[in-house]
Amino acid sequence: MKNNKKPALFHRIWFGLIAASLIIFISSVPASAHKVILFACVKGDTVFTESYFSDGKRCQNSTIEVFDRNEKKLLTGKTNKNGEFSFKVPNKTGLRLVLKAAMGHRAEFSIPANELPNVFNKINKKSSPGSNRRETVPPGISCKAAISCPKAIPADLKNIQLLMEETLDKKLQPIMIELKKSQEKKISLGEVVGGIGYIFGLMGIIIYFINQKTKKA
Amino acid sequence: MHISEGVLSAPVLITGASLSAAAIGYGLKKINYDQIPQVAILSSAFFVASLIHVPIGPSSVHLILNGIIGILLGWAAFPAIIVALTLQAILFQFGGITSLGVNTFNMALPAVICFYLFSPGVKHRNSVIAVGSAFAGGFLGVFLGSILLATSLIFTGESFMEVAKLTVIAHLPVMVIEGILTVFCISFLKKVKPEILEIA
Repeated sequence: MKNNKKPALFHRIWFGLIAASLIIFISSVPASAHKVILFACVKGDTVFTESYFSDGKRCQNSTIEVFDRNEKKLLTGKTNKNGEFSFKVPNKTGLRLVLKAAMGHRAEFSIPANELPNVFNKINKKSSPGSNRRETVPPGISCKAAISCPKAIPADLKNIQLLMEETLDKKLQPIMIELKKSQEKKISLGEVVGGIGYIFGLMGIIIYFINQKTKKA
Repeated sequence: MHISEGVLSAPVLITGASLSAAAIGYGLKKINYDQIPQVAILSSAFFVASLIHVPIGPSSVHLILNGIIGILLGWAAFPAIIVALTLQAILFQFGGITSLGVNTFNMALPAVICFYLFSPGVKHRNSVIAVGSAFAGGFLGVFLGSILLATSLIFTGESFMEVAKLTVIAHLPVMVIEGILTVFCISFLKKVKPEILEIA
């Protein structure tokens, strides 16, 4: 009687352990799995995107669709030979980019709205030439100082700020791309060996159960 | 040749998953006790093969090995391939969990077809027939996989001929490499462990 009960209990523990580890494993997997990688960064009023396969090959002539936060499609474009595609920021809300590469590959990239507003300040400024400068001069600076400055140097602080932002964007762009690339998960030897280990572990479990069955029989 | 998550519509995913489920059930029934380690070894080979990229051609392609797996395993290729694809999806983010059924079907059905077409030829005493069948098995496995991939993408609005042409052309180097690889593997197994070819 005791001998009969023990394997049954053992089975249940085994089964529970396997089920639990499977659930934990699957739930920790990110929802958007992909094999193509899409990156985007905002520079000035333009969004630059870069797309490539996991082995570093560029996705040529692939479709990129741009959606706003309400899932409305704003524009569609194709990547060039280097897997790059750029477009003017069409909307102030956050953007979602979807890359559709050949053979059923797909990737997504989101640009949150807070990366875009600065851009729109600039666009507004540029789009209204001859803007009333006096209004933009901060209260701390006297009009005299602003007028006496040579034309090449922007007189008001806001202009300096915008110029600095633009320069910083330019200088930081390669760093941002590298940073985002490094965040992308790379395949490690541990995962490869782990995967093979999983398969052989599974084999062991199956053989164990079959052995148990034949023993009982 | 992994279809990513969010590409296919629900009916295609469900069809693929149910077809695969039925075939996996049949494949599991076909596996006998002695064959289990062989299934595991070929499953891990499939798992690792996707990391071997072939740097020829404009697109990114990798080895698949479904032809040789089919010749050696027959219907057991279905369970072997789904285990490997699941681990690829979880560990490498290749393909996806929801598209697992479709991807398994696309890779494993050509394997079973190769088994029926070339398994007798591979065992033939005439070495020309044996080598020819092995090469054709490796070649056709990838070719049929490309065709099935294009078929499953029909309903996403892409034209079948375009996708099929693109996929087949991109995978031509892989087909040739796998054909040669299959010839070497089969002739090696024939010399060292001929009983393996008899099990399936």
